[in-house]
Amino acid sequence: MTAPGQSRSLSEKLGLLGEVQLFAGLSEADIEAIGHATTMTRCVRGQQILSPDDPSDRIHIIKKGRVRVYRMTPDGKQLTLDIYEKGTILGDMSLLGQDRLPEAYAEAIGDGVICTITPDELRRLIERYPIIGVNVIRHLSKRLQAAERELEAMAYQRVDQRLARKLLDLAQRFGVSSERGTVIEARLTQQELAEMIGTTRETLAHTLADFRRRGFLETVHHQVVIRDAERLAEVAASDDL
Amino acid sequence: MTDAGARLPALAASSIPTVTVDRMVEVDRLAIEEYGITLLQMMEQAGSHLAEVARLELGGDLRGRSVVVAVGPGNNGGGGLVAARHLMNRGAGVRVVLARPALRMTDADRHQLATLLAMGMSCCVATYDLSDEELEAALAKADLVVDAVLGYRAEGAPHGEVERLIGFIVRSGRPVLSLDVPSGLNPDTGETPGWAISAQATLTLALPKPGLLEGPGVERSGRLYLGDIGLPDVLYHRLGIEVGRPFAGSRIVALDRTT
Repeated sequence: MTAPGQSRSLSEKLGLLGEVQLFAGLSEADIEAIGHATTMTRCVRGQQILSPDDPSDRIHIIKKGRVRVYRMTPDGKQLTLDIYEKGTILGDMSLLGQDRLPEAYAEAIGDGVICTITPDELRRLIERYPIIGVNVIRHLSKRLQAAERELEAMAYQRVDQRLARKLLDLAQRFGVSSERGTVIEARLTQQELAEMIGTTRETLAHTLADFRRRGFLETVHHQVVIRDAERLAEVAASDDL
Repeated sequence: MTDAGARLPALAASSIPTVTVDRMVEVDRLAIEEYGITLLQMMEQAGSHLAEVARLELGGDLRGRSVVVAVGPGNNGGGGLVAARHLMNRGAGVRVVLARPALRMTDADRHQLATLLAMGMSCCVATYDLSDEELEAALAKADLVVDAVLGYRAEGAPHGEVERLIGFIVRSGRPVLSLDVPSGLNPDTGETPGWAISAQATLTLALPKPGLLEGPGVERSGRLYLGDIGLPDVLYHRLGIEVGRPFAGSRIVALDRTT
């Protein structure tokens, strides 16, 4: 099977990327003000807004109308990647830690208005509307999490090692001895624990189940009880992949 | 062509349990969360079997045959995309028609689509990249249409871009092979609240759905095949389902509803 890391780069290369919610949390009035402070272009149905040959330092925001983003397939035909509505961003995302959609074209489906922002303008907007900066951070953080999940998938065999290490660490900090073993007195959801070790909840559940079967631990009411810290430490210390 | 199923081991449908939508959701969840069987693994099995059933439905040889693979935005569509790769590898002329834009599909679907694009396969979106006439012409010259538009988790009547694609397939009158359930058909009851595919054959996955075995779904789903997606017995045991060994002789079996 194709390595997940490879699939990501392949998907990216082919331009199958998502959108950015840059102005989430801003009021209509703020968005309106931003619209006025930037360059706006009226476009008609079928008008091309973006092509791979364009200068790569502009961000385009759809202010009115709908835009079809597509790429050319090897047989010379168009493949629609998405239909973007009002408020969506197109163009170079390098300021947002995201490459532009490679090989992507965009054209207006109907009459519309496109707002174009240069990197300098974006910096000024962030100074004036800090929420935009927060949205950028949120977006980057999602990107980072996704990248970590991909890296983790490539190194799947080491998840048990990382989980064992994390559990021993948590036991040391929050552990309380009981008859059943060491209770980690921190109520963690599987999602939280998964994020701590940079894995998915599914993989975490799978690894926890494996640890349970091997008698290393129990899980009771969202709490982990370590039954066999020695063997857990062996897993944590093992080097074999 | 009518004896296609005879080339696979036949199994009495009554000898194997059915699985409702709710139960199948649980089967899928356990497979992924408890047994580490990824969606991509299951999708690969489904698509590979689908291509094999397409070969049988086309009389035994895929070379030079024209297949349109209709792909929906959910994971059923991903099975269709895998099938498209196998069909092309095995000599068929394949054209992929997506119901919705590429970025509106699941991550697993996009993974499969990226592979097809890298292979140079013709892929387009029905509503945006083809005129009605072009879509009609593409379907009209297909020897077989693979229906991977909607899977078992789709609810209610199809609508929007998905409904439009289903409508074109139905009106084309071309033979259809459906993945898991004919699109638009309720897997539990066999009812069709809106536009629905009438398949020449259906490859259902893991366990048959009740709506394919009785009522209006019998005619809608045509010849019925069951494909193994590699789920372990212990998973079914946990849910109290006794499956037996339906795939002992072959990983795809023809289900006989008459016995």
